[in-house]
Amino acid sequence: MDAPHPTYVVVWDVPTNVVVREKFTVKVGIKCSNGCSLASSPFGLYDHEGAQVAVGTLPDEQWPDTVGLHVAEVELEAPASEGLYTWSVKRAQSDLEMPHAESSIEFGVRVVGRPECLVTIESVDKVTQAPLIGARVVMHPYRVVTDEHGVARVRVAKGNYQLFVSQTNYLTCGLPVDVAADMTTRVQLDLEPVLERN
Amino acid sequence: MAKKPSSDQKERKPQGQKAVSRRDFVKTGAVAGVGAATGVGATVLSTSGTALSQVSPADAIQWHYEADIVVIGAGCVGLPAAIRARDLGASVIVVDQNFDPGGKMLHSGAQVSFGGGDPLQLRDIAGEKDKEGFVTAPRQQSVEELTEDPDFLFRDHTDWSVMDAAAQAPYRYNERDLHRAYADNCYATREFLMANYVRMGRISGTHGNGGVSRARRAVCFLMEGAATDIKKGTVSTQDAGVEGARSSHFAPRPMGDAAKVASAGARSNGAALARPLEFSAREKGVQFILNRHMDEIIREQQFSGRVLGIRASYSPRLDPQTGVRLESLWQNGNVDDRRETIYIRARKAIVIGAGGHGANPQFRSMFYPAWREPAFVSSGWALLGPRGQDASGIIAGMRVGANLAGMQQNLGYAATFHIPGILATRDSYTDMFPGHPTFSLRGSTGINLPNDSFQHLIVVNQVGKRFFNEMLITDRKGGAAFPAGPNKGQPKSGLNHVQLDWRNASVENIKATYAEPNSIHAALAMNEGSTAPDYFSGPIWAIFDRAAVERDKWKIEPPFTSPSNGFFFKADTIEELAAKVKAGHEFQRVPLTHLVETVARWNSYVDKGRDPEFARGSDAPMYKIEKPPFYAATLNPVWHDSYGGLRINGRAQVIDMQGEPIPGLYAGGESSGGGQQHGLGRALVHGYIAGTNAAKESTT
Repeated sequence: MDAPHPTYVVVWDVPTNVVVREKFTVKVGIKCSNGCSLASSPFGLYDHEGAQVAVGTLPDEQWPDTVGLHVAEVELEAPASEGLYTWSVKRAQSDLEMPHAESSIEFGVRVVGRPECLVTIESVDKVTQAPLIGARVVMHPYRVVTDEHGVARVRVAKGNYQLFVSQTNYLTCGLPVDVAADMTTRVQLDLEPVLERN
Repeated sequence: MAKKPSSDQKERKPQGQKAVSRRDFVKTGAVAGVGAATGVGATVLSTSGTALSQVSPADAIQWHYEADIVVIGAGCVGLPAAIRARDLGASVIVVDQNFDPGGKMLHSGAQVSFGGGDPLQLRDIAGEKDKEGFVTAPRQQSVEELTEDPDFLFRDHTDWSVMDAAAQAPYRYNERDLHRAYADNCYATREFLMANYVRMGRISGTHGNGGVSRARRAVCFLMEGAATDIKKGTVSTQDAGVEGARSSHFAPRPMGDAAKVASAGARSNGAALARPLEFSAREKGVQFILNRHMDEIIREQQFSGRVLGIRASYSPRLDPQTGVRLESLWQNGNVDDRRETIYIRARKAIVIGAGGHGANPQFRSMFYPAWREPAFVSSGWALLGPRGQDASGIIAGMRVGANLAGMQQNLGYAATFHIPGILATRDSYTDMFPGHPTFSLRGSTGINLPNDSFQHLIVVNQVGKRFFNEMLITDRKGGAAFPAGPNKGQPKSGLNHVQLDWRNASVENIKATYAEPNSIHAALAMNEGSTAPDYFSGPIWAIFDRAAVERDKWKIEPPFTSPSNGFFFKADTIEELAAKVKAGHEFQRVPLTHLVETVARWNSYVDKGRDPEFARGSDAPMYKIEKPPFYAATLNPVWHDSYGGLRINGRAQVIDMQGEPIPGLYAGGESSGGGQQHGLGRALVHGYIAGTNAAKESTT
């Protein structure tokens, strides 16, 4: 009998934080290393205690720009208490036309309390003072992107953060912020110098 | 130049009744039990050891060509040496292993630092324009920052006290005679370049290790116009290329905007220096034998007597798709000789301007054993080809008794070997685009990432393990040059720097300013895939996902990457990515066994918001590598410029092991040692001095 074809699992678009007991979705991709179609194959999602929290079935649909990576979106519910949990996706061994080995991958689920403070960040070019559209704002684990006015608003829990604002071709700005109530801050970014070559 | 009669261009061996080929001559000597391994004996002996006849060493070889001066290398030493020698009445043949003149200068930034009160410093002090009216930009530096004399420059270039941010002393070990001559010839060399169609803008700063006390750097430019006309100082849009999109045969790298130091429409890079010098050399009657690699310098005796000429082999470069030989942009003055081996006599002198040793793994490993790794090349690899920067000039000099100098100075400049931020190409120092004949050899421009973009990826070694903080991996310090200051290792910057002050080298200052990240050393370290006897580190890989490409707007399509050159891979899963890299990259000798585990661990660090292994997270955001497809792109360390080479004196004469000049032999630039100055200025002055003195040699 031929050896089972290896299969590989990928998980992405996991939110960087989820409020307790709230629903969230992730994408699950699975493929056969030999290019077999895995359409209609089942898979399961398991929480940090090994309990199955969802099941899914791979559709015919494949993820763009890949070869044979079937992708499904799965809805999940966050645990009841805050923390960083390790969950997993497993695809059991199966016998399609050919036997396929089981495979799995782990992923982190960051569960937070309901954020109580609104932080508003305005991002501008330091020289021109023009708003930076699409700048990435990170206050781990919270992430948001600035709008067409260079403004981002994010709700966070009270606490101390390292606020990062970054934008393509600019030097990332990082500064500590202590969030105790709603607050607004303005960040000016410098263009990253172009390296001279000679 | 005189071409010797005879010869079917296709013949492969020199022939003749009267003259003896050098090979036969040496063979005869060997049978007789005499004759040096490489030198040409002046006397032919019988088998009994009795002199049969006296034969002039030069007559013992059938020379195919001869000239007063033979210049090896058509770069930033060779071209000024050739022009200068022609100006003084000598006939000149330039031999170059590549198909087109220019050498590494052609892909440079054309930043030329001289000083000592050179004509451009004086022009800027006076607030004058250039004679053509191209330079209308305001002065970039104050009068004080431009004011100096050769004595001041000499002190700057030999200042023992200067330490850079890598705790290296870039001026302490410079040869004094060499740098005295440098200081005394900067004025004349700047003037000489401008008299040979080189246009330069305002002085702005100083290039690496060109001194910390004054501003000395000017960038060469041409004005964009309807047509390329070197005499008028113009370059066509087609020849200048398009930044970020297209190169040309004229300019291997698209020429940049030099308006800030000249005026609107000024375009700059190495083509604005190399092409005018090449044009002038051809115009003045310098002859070029291209596609010709110098293999040996021939001296009367191996370790004594004058140098006589060179032996050179045919070194054509072929387009990999068509098999057609690559040709030079301009043809006038070319001698197209396709014989396997030819001999070229130098009646007065030979000038070695063959470049450095950055592409010779065995040679460079003298300084750093880990650099024996052949995966890593010198800058300009595609442009110069596999025999560029191969140390052949230095090795040929050593074979005829030359001493070496400045061998430790490779460690004194941070750009010597480092990790550039251009992914997915072997030629990671520069950004060539389609349009130049050598692009097909390179295959990809590369993904040019600024330091800040490294927050979106991880970097792993040949077994798939991270080895350094990615945010620091392309960072490099050093290069103490005006205006310097604490970020370059000096306690004071600009005019406040005090020459020869012991405080510059104090422990307190070094502690306060040391900032070398050392990522290159971690990249070259042995790992689980390193095996005896060389313990190669193997390639290093940037690993990222589709989300990174979208988030930071990277260009990963051709020509930035190539699907087939083995420097960029895409896969649906990390497991498949590791397998593709192993199968598709020439120097990936072992599997990336740990890659899957490394990515999983990295993603767990992102969840936690900190990286306990390499301290990511405090300097920039971290992002998971999770969204397919996944990518692996080389992050290729490069040996850019090289230091350490033939010892030369202030006249650019090559010095032997007894401290005496080797008659008729000159060298400069990266073929020479004893000078820690980075870039073109040092080599151009060497070329000018060498051409001047070589032309004054008596004819043999």
